Amino acid sequence: MWKRRLTLTLLLSLLLALAIAPAQAQEAGGGGTLVGAFDVGPGGLNKAIPFMDTAGRTWLSKIWSPLISWNEDMSALTPQLATEWSSNEDSTVWTFKLREGVLWHDGEPFTADDVVFSLNLALNPEAATSFPGFSSLSAELVAAVTAVDDHTVQIELTQPNPRLPFFMIFAWVLPEHALADLNPADYQTTDWFFTTPIGTGPFMHEEYVADQYWSLVPNPNYWNGAPKLDHLINRYFADETSALVALQSGEINFTYVSGDVYEQLQSDGYQIFDGPSGVTNYIILNLRNPAFQDARVRQAFLYAIDRQAIADTVLKGTAVVVPCISPFPNMWPDASELNDYAYNPDMAVQLLTEAGYDTAAAWELVTYYSSQFHQDAMAAQQAFLGQAGVNVVPLVQDVPTYNSYFYTGEGWDLSYRGVGVNYGNFPFNFYVPGGQPTTDGEPLQGQSFPELQALIDAARVESDSDAYLGLLQDICKFQNENALEGYMWTAIRFGAASDNLQDFYWFPAAGGGPFEDHAELWSVNG
Amino acid sequence: MLKYLLRRVLISIPVLLMITIIIFTLMEIAPGDIVDYFRPPDLVMTEEAAQALREKFGLDQPPAVRYVQWLGSVLQGDLGFRFTDGEAVSTVIGRRLGASLLLMGSALAIGILVGVPLGVFIGQKQYSFWDLSLTGVSFLGISTPAFITGLIALLIFSVKLGWFPAGGMRPVTSEPTVWTTIRHLALPSLVLSLSFIATFMRYTRFSMLEVVRMDYVNTARAKGLSNRFVTWRHIVPNAILPVITVIGLSIPALVVGAVFTETVFSWPGMGSLYLEAVRGRDIPLLMGMTLVIAIFVLGANILTDLAYAVVDPRIRYD
Repeated sequence: MWKRRLTLTLLLSLLLALAIAPAQAQEAGGGGTLVGAFDVGPGGLNKAIPFMDTAGRTWLSKIWSPLISWNEDMSALTPQLATEWSSNEDSTVWTFKLREGVLWHDGEPFTADDVVFSLNLALNPEAATSFPGFSSLSAELVAAVTAVDDHTVQIELTQPNPRLPFFMIFAWVLPEHALADLNPADYQTTDWFFTTPIGTGPFMHEEYVADQYWSLVPNPNYWNGAPKLDHLINRYFADETSALVALQSGEINFTYVSGDVYEQLQSDGYQIFDGPSGVTNYIILNLRNPAFQDARVRQAFLYAIDRQAIADTVLKGTAVVVPCISPFPNMWPDASELNDYAYNPDMAVQLLTEAGYDTAAAWELVTYYSSQFHQDAMAAQQAFLGQAGVNVVPLVQDVPTYNSYFYTGEGWDLSYRGVGVNYGNFPFNFYVPGGQPTTDGEPLQGQSFPELQALIDAARVESDSDAYLGLLQDICKFQNENALEGYMWTAIRFGAASDNLQDFYWFPAAGGGPFEDHAELWSVNG
Repeated sequence: MLKYLLRRVLISIPVLLMITIIIFTLMEIAPGDIVDYFRPPDLVMTEEAAQALREKFGLDQPPAVRYVQWLGSVLQGDLGFRFTDGEAVSTVIGRRLGASLLLMGSALAIGILVGVPLGVFIGQKQYSFWDLSLTGVSFLGISTPAFITGLIALLIFSVKLGWFPAGGMRPVTSEPTVWTTIRHLALPSLVLSLSFIATFMRYTRFSMLEVVRMDYVNTARAKGLSNRFVTWRHIVPNAILPVITVIGLSIPALVVGAVFTETVFSWPGMGSLYLEAVRGRDIPLLMGMTLVIAIFVLGANILTDLAYAVVDPRIRYD
């Protein structure tokens, strides 16, 4: 009898163990190892740390959850650690309700004190965190950051800012209990971020091997559900070609790829993710130079360059021509209100003649872009402009050289460059006096336009989203009519993933977002 | 010999200082600084914020003060921190130097072990099939950029055949072993060794042709000595001197690294680091690397001179 009982007990124990085992596996892990080149290409940055960098946010968000992020396609904001937010009538006091029950990777509870600590650290000049990614929320604009209760944070501003939540996507939250003793001045040189980092994100630090990879394991306490992957690894590559070779050899599951290879990869069975870069490429003309002050000359630039042909052929259909500085169609007025500046070399010559443009003049077209994509585009621009009698010579400089003089407004006549624009972060500062550190105090381009200034002043304080969008459309119309700059195109960017990835998602967000990618659902088959 | 060595070391110190002063001055003359590197195209950085950053990095001090401060720190064994990511310069150089020594050392070793014997071989068979063939191949080896041979090698041996990893220094899903290191090292070191093999082969061949016609070689042959004995006892020791010079000049490459090969194979060496330092106007890193590389170059020159004395008994440094 006792033998039967023992056998029965063992059998039941075995069944219980079998029943429990898969349940535990489903809680965290079991979904394989995903190796990606998450910091290759635009939006990536090896060894990025919160508050310090303007990119690398796709990877950062795996360890540190932000308060708010973009949604999947950057069309709206979505809650992360903050579940809701609201402001007073003039947008000077903002209140953020925080998610309850969130735990840090070490099991400590996440509270409003962590948010207050993190925002104050970000605003502390001693911590050298006034790097541009967060400078829009500079210390002068913030009167106070206070914890109303354990799950409510209030930010008081010194001037209205209806778009503050859009800047909060850069507001990474760090654990006060782990970093309170860190001298802010040592923030930049501490190795904490690569040795014992603690966040609230879906994955936890496992191992960082400098210049090689960063390995993470799932956070079983992640507030949006435990991730399925066993390991998530970010492998570092010096360039996208090396990463592409690694993808094709099966060593990695994902990488950013350039527009000239995605079709081949798609036909080879790779999953392709694409989306707008959110960056407008344009030629800025320095209106301090009398040669460009006549609007007809600037319009001639647009008529002279067959932008659609360049987008279709040189850029292989991976760029969309834009009518103004905004890259997104919802920021454009109705097409009937816009001049499409369709390729018309005769019109270009006529306008230049009417404006008395000196065709013997030659200008350097400076840029910091060194990629083949932009080199080819600039060569085509040079050829088209040359046919109309405008002589330009492309000149590539490295970023520090370019930046050392460009923003002073001096030392350049024409520049081919890019600017990231989105609903929450419009580059108003480029168009207003004092907005950039120019030596003459004029806007970057060198000339003020009262009508544009009035639109910008209204947009900056407009809290109604429809009215705000209407003002952005009016700005677009003004820029288009006056050919304020030589608006070219916005690029489409691509990512490629192996076909064995399940529920994987990626979007080419500027700076890497952060955006909602539900990394907790990712898994690898086989 | 010891006296000579001491004199050379003492002479090297002011040379070393001059090198660091020149590099520091060049970085000062170059437009832009670390703040300009960080300034993104689409966001605003106020002049106050930029100035605060410059102060944080000590860039508000006059260049001469900063150089003296750097030198003072170096004498205390402190190379400072990288501007771009705050990592200790000594740590990053130590890590990258190890990677470069491994890659460049193995490439150089292959270059010597293959290039010199091949040069000896074809140096005795001027205008033969082997001479013409290997000389042609060596021209190809010297003139083909490493990033092209690197990409071709990756496509064939990693993507198509799957024999070797597609870049990197170690596996990311397991601990590195000697075997995994060899597998990761094989392709980049072989690609890099092509130009070394070609160079050493051509120099050895040329030097062999010079020596092989000497009277004492003819005398040795007339005495009835075997061809092998004449070659290795009489020709090679005399022909090797110019080759030692070339090998000596190649030693600094061990620490300088190879930018293109490192980039193609994602090998974290000194070459790509130097490029990062220049692009980021990362003065502490650049100065630290300059110091290390200059010490290696000066050291290699002394070693080469000493090697002459070892190989050629006629040379004495007393």
